[in-house]
Amino acid sequence: MTTKTLILGIIWGGLLCYSAVAQEQAAVLPQATVEAQNLGSFPSASSDEYKIDESEINKKPYHLGGYAQFDPFLDGFRSNSAFYKVNFYNQKVGGTVKEYNFELQPDFSLEKGIARIYLQGNVSQNNTYQGWSNDSRLYQGYLTLKPSDSWSFDGGKKAFKWGKGYAWNPVAFIDRPKDPTDPDLALEGFTAVSAQYLHSFHGRLKTFSFTSIVLPVIYNLYGNTGVNESFAKSQSNVSGGSSQVTSNQVNAVEKAYFLLYNTDIDLIFLKGQTKTTRYGIDFSRNIGPKAEVHGELAAIKDFQKNFVDSNGSLHSSTYNALNYLLGSRYLSSKLTTYILEYYRNGAGLTTGQMQDYFSYVDNGYNTYLSTGKAASIQKASNMSSNYGRNSPMQNYLYLRISQDQPLGRLYYTPAISSIMNLNDGSFQVIPELVCTRITNWELRFRTYVPAGAKNTEFGEKQNNYRVEFRVRRFF
Amino acid sequence: MRIFAIIVLAVCCVLSAVPAWAVDGTQLLVQIDRNLNPESYAMYRKLINIEPDGRKKEYTLFTVKKGLDKVAAIFIAPASEKGRSTLRLGDNMWLYIPNVGKPVRITSLQSVIGGIFNNADILSLDYSAEYSVEKVEEPAGGYLLYLKAKTKSVAYDRLIMWVDKSRKVPTKIECRTEAGMLIKTLYFKDTKDFGGGIVRPSLLETDSPLYKGYKSVMIFAQIKSKQYKDEVFTLDFMPKMESLR
Repeated sequence: MTTKTLILGIIWGGLLCYSAVAQEQAAVLPQATVEAQNLGSFPSASSDEYKIDESEINKKPYHLGGYAQFDPFLDGFRSNSAFYKVNFYNQKVGGTVKEYNFELQPDFSLEKGIARIYLQGNVSQNNTYQGWSNDSRLYQGYLTLKPSDSWSFDGGKKAFKWGKGYAWNPVAFIDRPKDPTDPDLALEGFTAVSAQYLHSFHGRLKTFSFTSIVLPVIYNLYGNTGVNESFAKSQSNVSGGSSQVTSNQVNAVEKAYFLLYNTDIDLIFLKGQTKTTRYGIDFSRNIGPKAEVHGELAAIKDFQKNFVDSNGSLHSSTYNALNYLLGSRYLSSKLTTYILEYYRNGAGLTTGQMQDYFSYVDNGYNTYLSTGKAASIQKASNMSSNYGRNSPMQNYLYLRISQDQPLGRLYYTPAISSIMNLNDGSFQVIPELVCTRITNWELRFRTYVPAGAKNTEFGEKQNNYRVEFRVRRFF
Repeated sequence: MRIFAIIVLAVCCVLSAVPAWAVDGTQLLVQIDRNLNPESYAMYRKLINIEPDGRKKEYTLFTVKKGLDKVAAIFIAPASEKGRSTLRLGDNMWLYIPNVGKPVRITSLQSVIGGIFNNADILSLDYSAEYSVEKVEEPAGGYLLYLKAKTKSVAYDRLIMWVDKSRKVPTKIECRTEAGMLIKTLYFKDTKDFGGGIVRPSLLETDSPLYKGYKSVMIFAQIKSKQYKDEVFTLDFMPKMESLR
């Protein structure tokens, strides 16, 4: 750990602890009330003791909020895994590596009449074995015009977050892929203009809305950067390669939503010059006061999948891909929540294609060790983002079990999540404990443990384990 | 004369045997609902969870309701919850979290804030919309209503409601399972004039044998009769709920 990290960590940690303790003291009731509690009688509540001040409910035309967080990791590596080899073949990083992440995610909104501006940024400072790095980007920044309760128009950078699945969303055609190990993380949006009409009815059909979006891809607009260039690249992330088109493109996306027979239903259609035509449908429905079921189905026309064989030769196949998801959420009478999802990624890699890549990595690494020639392992390394991305293969199962108020303790939520690759039998287990006891603070302790045999997705991950402790302060 | 006496006696017997019929339970429940809230309204509330050691955690919400089956609420404090909105359309409930960016379905027995108040309490509809009156008793100074859920999707199968006879507002409600197990008790306190003819308890306390030592309090403020368009109570409107304030 560098001196800079240490100093920054101490200052940050000190501020967080001081603020937490101060808030904790302020949150405790007056002594007299505590004594009344200890005597077994509930404090006699009255409107004098419990009231809402006008200042608490007065609306301001603007809002500034967000969170700051400190998120240190401890990574334990396995040096014989494929992804360790492609990432660190020419470096000595050791068996364990510490990482310190500082993140600020502010958001701002300003409302006047029918107009509202919303901005959400993300600034991060990271210290890894390679030293310091930083990143800052605008996650969202758009203008909304709402001339009536039925019509609204948006323009700017926006995250749409479509789909009903918890860990995966096959129908989220214009969102960045989310991380199934942390599905609630905010995602950076894409720049688009959209119009929405919504209408309510009385009867079996309760709500209908229609959203029409135009999403352009413009290259080299500001020097070397353009608009939504990463939207074009995201196709290559799925398929393992992309054609290097640099002419400006337009994509049209339509979504119709129905609340019909107490079921949410979305129909989604994408047609454009950047991605091949896609059709999607999703649904979600409550089954009684404890359970919910949901599903998504996406059909991708002429999907192009690129992959490598064990000799390093590139191959490509084009076909109509079908991705779908089925899931359910159930709350038991003991406040245990179960989320179970099955994900079929028709656009994903087969077991054989994945094993070919691992063989190519092994061959390239052995060549590098024996001859010092890095061409093959470097080529494999360049492809690692495609093979090492989240859920690259075809059949997955997700299970999350979380317990609200364990042993009668509010604000503590232990949970365990697992993602299993049904093709190769490998899996990842993520136990965690979240504490939100102190107002505006969230503490999360988490570990990630991937497991699997050689030549399997999770068996070849570079990490043996990861331990993470995240402190988040909302403001 | 003898026949006449028998008829008079019989009529008297019949009348004295059915005192409960003097009160129309369904009508009374509707009256209680209207005394608690207008059918369509805007309201501010604060929810406070109190732990056994006295520690408090507070949440402030803005709530709108329309008709029998539409309720929506947005959290305006604390900062960690600000912008979260919840929507209920009959038996359907959703939660929108700004960071997550999309509405997800939730169930009535979950609690978006933790604590004794669950989603059904926070997004409550009229009692008469969800319950039918099985029996009415008239203890001194009040009514005692025995309510049964109309459908299986209602959070509590049975309610026993103590009602102030003069104001026709609840003073206490026991929420029970179908088997009669007590889930929680709600206490209505501190009657206050909110203006516009709304005079009702401004404080709702609850405790539960399932959460020993914990209490939750709901404070009501600024209840106003207000009409909203149906489009306000839709998923697509959830991220824009702040605009209603």
